[in-house]
Amino acid sequence: MLRIRRRTGTRITPPRRRTALIAGLTGLALVLAGCGDGGNGQAGGGSTQTSGVTITVALASDPPPKAALEAFTKQTGITVNWVNLDWDSLQNKISAAATANTYFADATNVDWSRVGQLGKLGWYFPMEDYVDTAAMEADVPQLASFKSDGHVVGIPYDASIMVTTVNTEMFQKAGVNPAPKTMDEYTNALRTIKSKGVVQYPLNIPFAAAEGLSTYWYEATNAFGGSVLDKDGKPQFATPDTAGYKAAQWMVDALKSGLVPPGNINVTDSQGQQTLMAKGVVASTFSDYSGTVGTLYGIKASSSVVGKVKYIKTPGVSGPAANLSNPDGIGIPKKAKYPNAAAKFIEWFTATEQQADFSGVNGPDKTMPGYPLPSHLSAVKQMTAKGNLIGGADLEPMLEGSKPVFEGGAPAWYPKFSNAVYTNLHAAATGSMSVEQAMKAISDTATQLASGS
Amino acid sequence: MKRRTSGLRGVGVAMILLWSLVPIYWAIKTSLQTEADARAKPAHYLPTNATWQNYATLLSGDGDVPAQIRRSTLNIVIECGAATVVTVLLATLAAYAFARMQFRGKTVLFYAVIATMAFPAYTTLIPLYRIMSTFGLVNTYTGIVLVYVSGFLPLATWILHNYFASLPSGIEEAGLVDGAHRLQVLWHLLLPLARPGIISTALITFLFAWGQFLFPLVLSSDLSTQPLTVVIASLQGRHVVPSTLLNAAGVLAIIVPAVLALAFNRYIVNGLLAGSTK
Repeated sequence: MLRIRRRTGTRITPPRRRTALIAGLTGLALVLAGCGDGGNGQAGGGSTQTSGVTITVALASDPPPKAALEAFTKQTGITVNWVNLDWDSLQNKISAAATANTYFADATNVDWSRVGQLGKLGWYFPMEDYVDTAAMEADVPQLASFKSDGHVVGIPYDASIMVTTVNTEMFQKAGVNPAPKTMDEYTNALRTIKSKGVVQYPLNIPFAAAEGLSTYWYEATNAFGGSVLDKDGKPQFATPDTAGYKAAQWMVDALKSGLVPPGNINVTDSQGQQTLMAKGVVASTFSDYSGTVGTLYGIKASSSVVGKVKYIKTPGVSGPAANLSNPDGIGIPKKAKYPNAAAKFIEWFTATEQQADFSGVNGPDKTMPGYPLPSHLSAVKQMTAKGNLIGGADLEPMLEGSKPVFEGGAPAWYPKFSNAVYTNLHAAATGSMSVEQAMKAISDTATQLASGS
Repeated sequence: MKRRTSGLRGVGVAMILLWSLVPIYWAIKTSLQTEADARAKPAHYLPTNATWQNYATLLSGDGDVPAQIRRSTLNIVIECGAATVVTVLLATLAAYAFARMQFRGKTVLFYAVIATMAFPAYTTLIPLYRIMSTFGLVNTYTGIVLVYVSGFLPLATWILHNYFASLPSGIEEAGLVDGAHRLQVLWHLLLPLARPGIISTALITFLFAWGQFLFPLVLSSDLSTQPLTVVIASLQGRHVVPSTLLNAAGVLAIIVPAVLALAFNRYIVNGLLAGSTK
């Protein structure tokens, strides 16, 4: 039966609850996959027809221009029914469909963080069976984030990396280098900006208990010279000498020492970008999203710092650190009705030429609304060459050198792990537990999850 | 002492009103602002440069967003309306049987139906999804309506059972003595008397159905069946949240339930209190 709700506004369910729901559904899915016969590798018996069919594509994105989809239909005979859902709702749908072992779309979003679960469930066709993924690897560095047990679960269709953004004007006003190379330089620059009164709180860290806090910590851990989990999924942050511990300590200290606005305890990543960074309230976001300079900070309607915010190489221990990837991919569920037709669509949708069109290289008519950054380096190069990518010259090498968040791929238990990360880091920020306790709690959770108990 | 109690009550009522109304006010205020004004620091407590632009974007024009809003509004009205009609119809028959007829296992069956209200909703999501998929009812009005009916029927049965049980049995006995059969007694004698209970059950069912999100999210695949609550969610980008547009859509979504709740408040309260006093 249905639970009675008082409010219609279910869409504003707090992120923690939404992720808990995804985690719950996924947990159930994994149990069913383990117990039942619908688990690994069982194909859904879809049709191999690739012409005269209609496929459903479900992504958390507006559709490409109508003309582009019509051209695809003309070229292949495949009609595309585009379903756009917000990211959280889409993950719920994917988890529900996986658990129920039933069809809901022929091609769906495969987020980097869900690769482990979906791979373990065996709910997606290996993309290497349909697309020459080996040939793609050199031009699509983030393909590595979509591998699970040696199979490619999805093809990245955009390139999102975690980057550091700075308001150069504020840094210059304080007389500090706007492109600090190490974490010490960066932290000292922020302290100077505060002490000189340029802004009261120079750093944006989204401390709300939500996914954005987890990814921020992963990037900070990377900057401190380590990674959160090793390639076997074991936690690497339990002791004070580890990068993850230092990163958490740095984040909490930044809040307690007044570098971060106290209200950030309830600020999510997108809120911080839109209300703090874009409004010139803070001077820097250490772990921002690639593309925000062009799509948010550089837009007059949404920003009061147009032309002032730039990407910098992410500061590291002794020099710039690599940037972590958090891209979106697209894959084919095993219950797809037309997997071969879906593969044709994916091939077209993720091709270099198409991505160049979607990102505005060849004019606004071909641009896909909200498209962040192509996953193909060659498309990014085209954008940079034509001057279509704000900060492109900075982003290009970062994308090239980007690496997956988890060395061994996102683990199957990622949602539960992420939930533990942001819940405990949030608690450490509010002062209800120490950093040591938070790290121990997260580490214990990861150990338990990795051991399969 | 009495004055002090009265003062505390006033403070309590004021707190509850603030708690309930401030979020609605804030949503309306935000919906009348531009993104820049809505995100200004310090915040504006009154809408500066009020604009209807967000409502115009949602309701008029030929763009994708207005088309989605219009279609999903139609969907939600059809789904909630159909679910209400079917629920009330079935609940009336079930409630009458439980309240008036004698048959073996009646009490056990009645409490079994009522007990299903204690199940967490999410536990039934996957089985229902699978059943609907097996019968080809995913992404159909029928599938969504059936799930709503299965969800709301126990509560509706319980409300109407209490209503029927509170009616004097003499009327029904007189009808039976005069030769009417059960359905005639129900239709001609009890239903007119139970009309307030039926109206309140219909209202409660409609309002609960209107607020659903997760079930229609999972059971609908595209705009042909997605209700307004699901479509509003899709207006949100992953990294950028158009807060003023979302608030305008939220305000539009609460208009129908708000009007119903305000206009028929008496029925709703009576329905929920039915049978609590004799």
